[in-house]
Amino acid sequence: MTAFRFHFVLVAVLITCFAISASAQKAPTFKQPVLLTSAGQSADVTMASTLLKKAKIEALAKPLAQPADLKGIHTLIVVAGFSSKGLGAAGISREDEMNRVTTLLEAAKKAKIPVLTMHLGGAARRGSQSDDFNKVAAEAAAYLLIVKQGDEDSFFSSIAQEKKIPIEVVDKIAGAVAPLQSVIP
Amino acid sequence: MRSHHARAVLMLILVAALAVVASWEFRAMRQADLILPGPGVTRQTTLGAYHNALLGSSAETPVYVLEGALPGGTLCVLGGVHPNEASGFLAATVLVEHIVVERGRLIVIPQASWGGYTCTDPMEAYPEHYTIPLPMGERTFRYGSRGMNPIDQWPDPLVYLHHPSGQQLSGIETRNLNRCFPGRPDGTYTERVAYAIMQVLRTEGVDIAIDLHEAAPEYPVINTIVAHEKGTEIAAQAVLSLEFEDLQFTLERSPVRFRGLSHREWGDGTEAYAFLMETGNIMQGRLRGRTTPELLVSGIDRMYLKAAAIGMVKIPYDSSGVPIELRVGRHLQGIAALLEGYNDERPERRIMLDRLPSFAECASGGVGAFLNSPTTFHPSTTGEIP
Repeated sequence: MTAFRFHFVLVAVLITCFAISASAQKAPTFKQPVLLTSAGQSADVTMASTLLKKAKIEALAKPLAQPADLKGIHTLIVVAGFSSKGLGAAGISREDEMNRVTTLLEAAKKAKIPVLTMHLGGAARRGSQSDDFNKVAAEAAAYLLIVKQGDEDSFFSSIAQEKKIPIEVVDKIAGAVAPLQSVIP
Repeated sequence: MRSHHARAVLMLILVAALAVVASWEFRAMRQADLILPGPGVTRQTTLGAYHNALLGSSAETPVYVLEGALPGGTLCVLGGVHPNEASGFLAATVLVEHIVVERGRLIVIPQASWGGYTCTDPMEAYPEHYTIPLPMGERTFRYGSRGMNPIDQWPDPLVYLHHPSGQQLSGIETRNLNRCFPGRPDGTYTERVAYAIMQVLRTEGVDIAIDLHEAAPEYPVINTIVAHEKGTEIAAQAVLSLEFEDLQFTLERSPVRFRGLSHREWGDGTEAYAFLMETGNIMQGRLRGRTTPELLVSGIDRMYLKAAAIGMVKIPYDSSGVPIELRVGRHLQGIAALLEGYNDERPERRIMLDRLPSFAECASGGVGAFLNSPTTFHPSTTGEIP
């Protein structure tokens, strides 16, 4: 009886450990060259470009990247967040941008190029206008790098848990430099 | 019959008295605000010096030049493009009254839309003046309108056609300076002002130009730096630098197709890196309650507390409100951060300002701590509009 109890507890502990390790996904590593683009045309893509420079990671920044731009690319970084001014700057509609993003993400999936999705804009890049882009970009990601204020309602954490995507939540935008250096060595 | 005559006469006297009071108040709006240039001001001129057509008109707003002892680039700061956005004007006034330039040059136009300071917007219940407390005493300033005074440019067309793009906007925008850049020398009153400001940027060889604004708390582009594409990397650097000070700003790119805006036309039409900054002003919000001078200064409104509770406000908002010292502090800290980014980009033409108050200093000391006191300072800019 004692032996049975011991084995029962052992099995329970092993199952729990397995569950914990499965939920806290290990961050993958990404290879260069890197293509940097936007999902929603917010200027956060410029912020990401500045962060990559600080992390000494070279990236080709194309806010309006198309599937053809994926040629020779090993990592696609998508910076999510909607901006009406950004769409105005790009001279495209919201629908055009959504079509571009979904087409690009499908092309990346087909070419087996992993996607790293960043959300830097906090609460200002959340809400009905942004969240369509946030969702599409987050669900396609192999790794999520999120500034905490944008995940106060666990929007990104929930997607990460559901889709088993590793996620790193940082307190501030500048805090994204270290995780970038870690996953893009 | 006699009593009817007496009543009619009484009514006429009452109406005449009301007309006199209203005229008196309207005329009082034409009394210039007191700006007391500090030790850094090396030259003072007016917008008329850059476009003769403005000479002697009500558009001839003061321009202050602060020249450093060491050579460098030129920064131009505009406040009061929209006179109902008070923190922009006050931040620009702090620059004129308090700071000293170490290297390079600073040009400040605190009340770019001078004509807009001579009236308030109809149907808004806006006060004509507000008061800023000083360590000893107080200063009173005008609270103007978003557009120029219709007495200077009337009537508004049904549709405003922007020059030179032909873009169509609502007719009232014809008096909105921030829809009229780059203007034209022989255009409307507002277009002539816009042209004169472009001439300031061109003839003075301005390297970096910053336009200070405020917006309603429910407006999505708020606590923001809007950057022309030439300067997005400078602005990105500035946003990161501001984050270290616990000030969250979002970065927005200047739309290419929306013409007439300062950041778009200054960036396209001059050599300057062009930026616009927005803070949150409860007075401009559609949801506000009682509209008083105190509301402008404190930014505390119970209707906005309710709005914030249901997520309708785009800035952090609680019972402490968004007081003027925090809004002015954001602008001043934002200027410092943009300059830092600019100096990294153009070290050979760097600009160094001394005594520029930080956000924390404004928050703790109030705006009045960085304004001069009329009791201890000889006023050099006061009196009737020319």
